[in-house]
Amino acid sequence: MSLFRLALSNFKRSVREFGMLILSLTVSVCVLFNFQNVIYADSMDVLLEFNKDYIDMIMQAATVVFLVFLFFFIWYATNVFLNQRKKEIGIYIFMGLDNGRIGRMYALESILIGSFSLAAGLFCGIVFSKFFQMLLLKLSEISVDIQFSFSWKPLVVPSVTFAVIYGFMTMKGCYTLKTSSVLNLLSGSRQKEIKPEKKLVTAFRIITGIGILGAGYGFAWHTEGLDALNHALIAVVLVIAGVYLLYSGFIPAILRALTRNKNYLYKRERNLWVNSLAFRIKKNYRTYAMVTVLMICAVTVMAISIAMKQRYEKINYFGQVYSCQVISNESLNGEEIAEGIGQENQVEYWNEVSCLVLSPELLHTPYQEWVYMAAPYSQVKEAAERAGLEFEYKELKDSQVIQLSHEILLSLAGNDWDREVEIGQETYQVIAEDKTPYLGNMQNQATIYIVSDGLYEKLESEAAGGMNYYLYNYRIQDPENLDASKEYLGSLSQTEEEGGKFVGVMYSQSEQKDDSWIRIMYSLCLFMFATLMLACGTIIFMKVSNDVYEDKERYRVLEKLGIPREVLCRSVRKEISFAYYCPFLLMCVTSFFSVHALGNVMQEDLLRVNLWSAAAILGVFTVICLLSVKGAQRRLFMPGK
Amino acid sequence: MNKILEIRNLSKSYGRKGYKTMVLQDISMDIYEGDFIAIMGPSGSGKTTLLNLLSTLDKPDRGEILLEGDNVIKMKNKKLSLIRRDKIGFIFQDYNLLDNMTLQDNIALPLTLNGVSPEKTIQKVQEKAVRFGLEAHLKKYPYQLSGGQKQRAASARALITNPRILFADEPTGALDSRSSRDLLCCLKAANEEGSATILMVTHDVYTASYAKQVYFLRDGQIQCRLNHRGNRKEFYEEIMQMLASMGGEQE
Ligand SMILES: Nc1ncnc2c1ncn2[C@@H]1O[C@H](COP(=O)(O)OP(=O)(O)OP(=O)(O)O)[C@@H](O)[C@H]1O
Ligand SMILES: [Mg+2]
Repeated sequence: MSLFRLALSNFKRSVREFGMLILSLTVSVCVLFNFQNVIYADSMDVLLEFNKDYIDMIMQAATVVFLVFLFFFIWYATNVFLNQRKKEIGIYIFMGLDNGRIGRMYALESILIGSFSLAAGLFCGIVFSKFFQMLLLKLSEISVDIQFSFSWKPLVVPSVTFAVIYGFMTMKGCYTLKTSSVLNLLSGSRQKEIKPEKKLVTAFRIITGIGILGAGYGFAWHTEGLDALNHALIAVVLVIAGVYLLYSGFIPAILRALTRNKNYLYKRERNLWVNSLAFRIKKNYRTYAMVTVLMICAVTVMAISIAMKQRYEKINYFGQVYSCQVISNESLNGEEIAEGIGQENQVEYWNEVSCLVLSPELLHTPYQEWVYMAAPYSQVKEAAERAGLEFEYKELKDSQVIQLSHEILLSLAGNDWDREVEIGQETYQVIAEDKTPYLGNMQNQATIYIVSDGLYEKLESEAAGGMNYYLYNYRIQDPENLDASKEYLGSLSQTEEEGGKFVGVMYSQSEQKDDSWIRIMYSLCLFMFATLMLACGTIIFMKVSNDVYEDKERYRVLEKLGIPREVLCRSVRKEISFAYYCPFLLMCVTSFFSVHALGNVMQEDLLRVNLWSAAAILGVFTVICLLSVKGAQRRLFMPGK
Repeated sequence: MNKILEIRNLSKSYGRKGYKTMVLQDISMDIYEGDFIAIMGPSGSGKTTLLNLLSTLDKPDRGEILLEGDNVIKMKNKKLSLIRRDKIGFIFQDYNLLDNMTLQDNIALPLTLNGVSPEKTIQKVQEKAVRFGLEAHLKKYPYQLSGGQKQRAASARALITNPRILFADEPTGALDSRSSRDLLCCLKAANEEGSATILMVTHDVYTASYAKQVYFLRDGQIQCRLNHRGNRKEFYEEIMQMLASMGGEQE
């Protein structure tokens, strides 16, 4: 048989045996293509008006994240194929093939598998591209018609990167086959699994593993203030390293300790499955570590998307509290304006607050361009009541102020605020920072201190150059119909020369089109979450199938010995469950810290997101685990198979 | 003496209709408690087939197998696996130890899966390890042991449940003469002191000479039977002569 024919028959067998693995490679290429397609496809030009630059940037970022994943995935896949060849090496050597030719055969069939996956992936990608775009826009609540279009540009990144990574891995495998000694190959991967390690190395792994992971958690926990980003980055590196070490040191050590404790081991089916786990962990720990890290990524991505969405909604809400705000340097009749608006629109509520502009010098700040204002407690309180906003502060003392500020999408400055502020000669205690939009968009444009009524009067009389402003805020029933009132409101505004009367009108923006990138980002993150979660499930699934394949002989012996099938089934179930739930548990602990860190940076409470996404993964894993167990039991115990 | 196994008119053939080859024809024999039987015969004579039938791993075409009075042929798979677990022990030619656990765990396996308490298991494993000379190797994995040690461990595993009968298919097939002798001495001791009933298949005369009775299988039938009298050397010669007179296909 020629080398090519041999490779071809191996390829066919691989498709049968590792169908899932090849399918996953195909799906990865398909997903990658679709990410790229959003950037290049003509049909997505409809997004141009929605700040397509941002969307493209997100897509590129998603592509990069996915490439990292693809890298690991290809690494794993090619390793599986390589090990398969290593196991059969004896046969080939008897057939008269030398190392070099075995290597070439491996390369050939590996290239066949790779090209097959790539071609199938791109094909599926093109077929599904319209569906994917529709899904993306639907999730993002953007309605446009999508035409099916084809362009070759999005093909470039998936094909080139896949070919490069896959080619590299294949070459690596080929090199391994060529250079390793026949004896090594024949004895295979078996003995490595139980070869005891030096005690010192083990101890080192255990201690550093726990230490590094703990430090990572510590850094993730303390992500407040200016160091947040640094800490978060350090935490990421430490946690990844820690997880890796934990799987290579601590967890195997626990399993080994369990196998040594015969009083534990000789109960129920433990003798079978705990031994099997302890035996395999050395070989499987990379997979477990990778899956754990991927899952942490999935949950964190999910948290990012939800945090962004919450943020975005808050900002949106901020602008929607008042439909329009009238500001003037002379007192106006608020009731009259309300009636004016009332001609075209129903006014839901309105209120008025007077403010005093404080010159930056008075506050001793370097930000000369920024506007600082003071507003009296009683007026803000009344305004809040009329607008239906919660206002829970007790009557302020003269030495106390509350700082009003606004929501921002992403702040790395942390949620610290100055606990004291100096106005003129006096120092005041800032008892709280509040982001409730009592004064609507005004808070976006100025830092406002709520001060006690007494202090307000004092400042009013003292502050030379301090100017009084009167703010009238209106919320109409139907914000869509604001335009109808614009004519009337426009007639109010007037600018006159120095010292004269001034009236300005601010309108709340209706849903901004240029913000839809946030929604697209949100749906993309959801999509990434789903993909990563399924990828993790698939990886474990394949690992388990692979192990089961090796276990067949063992279970045949056990059946001959008369071990009842239920007992064996239980043992199989427990062993497989460990493969799914151990990474899951570690992910839960770690993601709790990572999401907490994210929550600190984004100033959002993300615990619920964390719980929900963990629950989602748990659900998916349980389903895949059940499939795994059923598949394994069928494979192990079906007669004739 | 108690009759443990009663075999009546056992027949087995392989292949489809029209191409059938009869492997076993009308085999009948009785096995009593404390027996140590060796079955000999040329390659392809159906020794393994017979053993598989007796040990309930396979079903005959015709005939009956009564294990302590119960007909195992009519039993469902579930019941059979319980019978195998509780009444039958196995030793395989290629040991069939599980490579992912230590010798101790391997020997303990049948007991732990039967729900015996850990303390009792540990104690029994210790006893068997002493009997088979494995005390020093209990913490080792199968790949760290020689074939003879592995086979002795397999025997210890097979006997740890005190089975009514122990089946062994070519137990010394992969061992050198020294390891064979060690193993056979252990089996003999188990038979004599522990009154274990043993049925083994072999085509090695030396191995067979340790048994109390030797059956000769050929063309699907039991041709004749020799009883162990006098010392082992004489028995060995007797078996050799018998083989020679039967056609001398064996060495
Ligand atoms: N599953 C099977 N299907 C078809 N024929 C079989 C099967 N198993 C055994 N045979 C045939 O039955 C006959 C007896 O086989 P068996 O394995 O019992 O021989 P044996 O006496 O154990 O030989 P050996 O000493 O070589 O182990 C052989 O001719 C064999 O080809
Ligand atoms: Mg045989």
